[in-house]
Amino acid sequence: MAASVREKQTVALKRMLNFNAPPLKNTTAEPVWKVLIFDRFGQDIISPLLSVKELRDMGITLHLLLHSDRDPIPDVPAIYFVMPTEENIDRICQDLRNQLYESYYLNFISAISRSKLEDIASAALASNAVSQVTKVFDQYLNFITLEDDMFILCHQNKELISYHAINKADILDTDMEAIMDTIVDSLFCFFVTLGAVPIIRCPRGNAAEMVAGKLNKKLRENLRDARNSLFTGDNMTAGQFSFQRPLFVLADRNVDMATPLHHSWTYQALIHDVLDYHLNRVVMEEGAGPDSPPAGARPKKKNRKTFDLTAADRFWQKHKGSPFPEVAESVQEEVETYKAQEDEVKRLKTIMGLEGEDDGAISMLSDTTAKLTSAVSSLPDMLEKKRLIDLHTTVLTAVIDHIRTRKLDVYFENEEKLMSKSTLDKSLLDIITDPDAGTPEDKMRLFLIFYITAQQAPSESDLDQYKKALLDAGCDLSPLNYIKQWKAFTKMAATPANYGNSGVKPMGLLSRVMNTGSQFVMEGVKNLVLKQHNLPITRILDNLMEMKSHPETDDYLYFDPKMLRGSESSIPRNKNPFQEAVVFVVGGGNYIEYQNMADYAKSKQGKKVIYGCSELFNATQFIKQLSQLGQK
Amino acid sequence: MTCQFVYSAADMAVDITLLFKASVKTVKTRNKAIGIGFDSTKDDIFKRNRPKNGFSPRAKEVITNITKLKDFLLQHRKDYVSAGSLISSDLTRMTDSERDQIDQDAQIFMRTCSEAIKQLRNEAEKKVTSAQIKEHRGVVLDLIGSYLKGVCKLYSEQRAIRVKRMVDKKRLSRLTPEHHKRVEKQREVEPAEEKTVKEESSEKNVSDVPDNTAEHLWEEGGVEDELSPEEIQMFEQENQKLVSEMNSLVDEVRQIEGKVVEISRLQEIFAEKVLQQESEINSIHQLVVGATENVKEGNEDIREAIKNNAGFRVWILFFLVMCSFSLLFLDCGSQAQKDILLSRSKKKEKKKGDDVLSSHTHHPAQASVA
Repeated sequence: MAASVREKQTVALKRMLNFNAPPLKNTTAEPVWKVLIFDRFGQDIISPLLSVKELRDMGITLHLLLHSDRDPIPDVPAIYFVMPTEENIDRICQDLRNQLYESYYLNFISAISRSKLEDIASAALASNAVSQVTKVFDQYLNFITLEDDMFILCHQNKELISYHAINKADILDTDMEAIMDTIVDSLFCFFVTLGAVPIIRCPRGNAAEMVAGKLNKKLRENLRDARNSLFTGDNMTAGQFSFQRPLFVLADRNVDMATPLHHSWTYQALIHDVLDYHLNRVVMEEGAGPDSPPAGARPKKKNRKTFDLTAADRFWQKHKGSPFPEVAESVQEEVETYKAQEDEVKRLKTIMGLEGEDDGAISMLSDTTAKLTSAVSSLPDMLEKKRLIDLHTTVLTAVIDHIRTRKLDVYFENEEKLMSKSTLDKSLLDIITDPDAGTPEDKMRLFLIFYITAQQAPSESDLDQYKKALLDAGCDLSPLNYIKQWKAFTKMAATPANYGNSGVKPMGLLSRVMNTGSQFVMEGVKNLVLKQHNLPITRILDNLMEMKSHPETDDYLYFDPKMLRGSESSIPRNKNPFQEAVVFVVGGGNYIEYQNMADYAKSKQGKKVIYGCSELFNATQFIKQLSQLGQK
Repeated sequence: MTCQFVYSAADMAVDITLLFKASVKTVKTRNKAIGIGFDSTKDDIFKRNRPKNGFSPRAKEVITNITKLKDFLLQHRKDYVSAGSLISSDLTRMTDSERDQIDQDAQIFMRTCSEAIKQLRNEAEKKVTSAQIKEHRGVVLDLIGSYLKGVCKLYSEQRAIRVKRMVDKKRLSRLTPEHHKRVEKQREVEPAEEKTVKEESSEKNVSDVPDNTAEHLWEEGGVEDELSPEEIQMFEQENQKLVSEMNSLVDEVRQIEGKVVEISRLQEIFAEKVLQQESEINSIHQLVVGATENVKEGNEDIREAIKNNAGFRVWILFFLVMCSFSLLFLDCGSQAQKDILLSRSKKKEKKKGDDVLSSHTHHPAQASVA
């Protein structure tokens, strides 16, 4: 896995956009223009990877949704990137009949079935457009890569494969089958793009096991079919630098319910928790001034601004996992460096003004000329930096507002303490009954974490007290019902998840604030320093990768699609620790886990970990699903 | 290595075009079996009559032209740039006139191409077609424009190198007359120095050599004939000084060259930026003009308002004055009327009184009679 998943997917997309031929490196090549048509799935896959400018550079003049009204644009080839569903196929047939474009390059996100292919063929025949359908491809790109080492399955219809859908009590077998098929299809596409056949390990007895079994079967069938196998050829031999296969760990959400509810303290996780953040895009309302408009005046219109947090943004890549105060400091530093550069450029301006009259001072002119050249050529970079700094400043301000109003730092501290089983400063009841500490949802989250991580269940009277306090604060108690059920269920299974020791050191409240002289008013927000700790899923990964023996992971199933004799599971043959791993959480994941896993991978030299989940939710969405489950 | 890996490993997509063609065949046979017919010939002929003056063919034409220009430039690039040494006289070397020709041709070509692009753009905007087609055409023209810019960059790079070489040559050629001048100066200095040396030596020497004749000789002769070792040494020293001065000059020239190139690059960048700002400045200009007009109109309105206000005030005053006058007159009138009425009533009363009196006297008279 020399190149990351994101690069591989980007390269595959670019090839597709270049009429399925490898793109040339020629800088001044003739432009060829084309039209790109995608459905919502395709849009979600493309938007984190390629910006509109990059699409333009590749010659895409228009990009349209499949199910929109499209006008005929003759003489232009069209590239389709859609899922092979019934409606999409019907629409494509309609397009063929209406002769919208000159030639058609059909690319299906996952494999299309023979019957649907025949439908398109008959439509093409009927409208005499067979010659126009130039190429048909199965792209096997049915997953969304958000970061270099993180992917999710889908964003559009995620209710179909959400935690709620998988774990609801009245689920039918057919529904379950359909969900599993969707997940397995996407995972299969993922491994095809990755170009590696993994070794699969999963726990027993839950959704993860089903997924693992099906994936194993699918991979094995594909490998057996030597003619059409997607894993043979020069894909495998050309530079597979690691001779090992990656480890694929399937985990189920039920193994760790506290992490999605946890309040976070790192930049990216906070943004996901607090702001509207999807597919690397933050949508914020802005424009509300500090003082509300006087009564009777028209309220100020709030603009919605969208910010893209991309791979090209170096500050973001460096700091997205840093704890929050560090990020604020770094933004300050960046602002200062930028201002210094700006001042230098301005100074040059005045110097040039003086020197222009003096012909004789050539020597001084040389220096300033050189400086001026460098300054002018660095202007675009500086402008870009300024834009990014402004972006991060806005985002940070918004996040700090939220933190301050909801007192998220208090929650974070307490939850960390709960998860590491140290004692709390204030008792839980105090925090819950405190009227101006956070929304009811925050309190519910804190209480649920307490309930989940408690060694023994609180007594009935305590529970009633808590319930009453929560009801007073305005919380909905249905998630609690579900968590009770879950706890009862998992008690029968392994020991409750140990969250490891994590110490939380609050730094001096005002000292740091004064030192940084930050423009962000951080008073009242404690500067908490995170100590490294491993979440349950990270620990499972650690055990499996290093082949350590641990009661938690010892009875994990082992699947190897490459084995000739297909037995259900067998004893692991491989005794060496793995260098690469892919972790997939069935039922949903979030950025806190991703960050934890990334930190773990960084701490171990030479190990690469990719994190994936069936859907990405923040705590709000998770609580909604839990309450839906608890209401049954 | 890594690039290679990436490209080959990305070969994951499966080409099912053949499968598609196979399904087409199956469907065809199936249709034949069922008996559905279709005619294909009519549509083909219809398709062939594509408009020749459509947007796409012309845009493609422009692109082919630009490609021709690019190929031409690249082909002759080596010859154009290869002014390796100024003294060489290779056969493949281009003459300056040829280079000028190439420059001119390239410029004309580029101008025609950009005009063609502009024309296409105007036409595309005039033809009111759907929004999607408009956007598509706009982007296509942008793509062609950036392609043209890329090719122009090739040309300007070549040109910059050529200009630099010309500047090179000019500086060096200017240097040689200076060199001559300097050498002459040195020559004048030399005889003077030698004169003094000679004078010294002659002083030292016994007056075997007649001084005057020696001086005459030296003044007339210059730097010929016997060169004593001291003179040789002096010459050498002066030579070395000359050489070092020349070297420093060369260095300075090189520095200046570099600076000139930098300055030209800077100018290019500035020109680009200025052109970019042109459109913004135009819009600002329009806004300002609009604003001044608005302000003027506003002034006019205010003036009118003041006038109206003044006039209004006058009318109000007038009205008030009239009211007061009317009040006054009414009042006086009422007073006068009252007086008149009073006087009239008094008169009447008097009259009545008289009548009564008269009647009274009458009556008693009558009564007494009766």
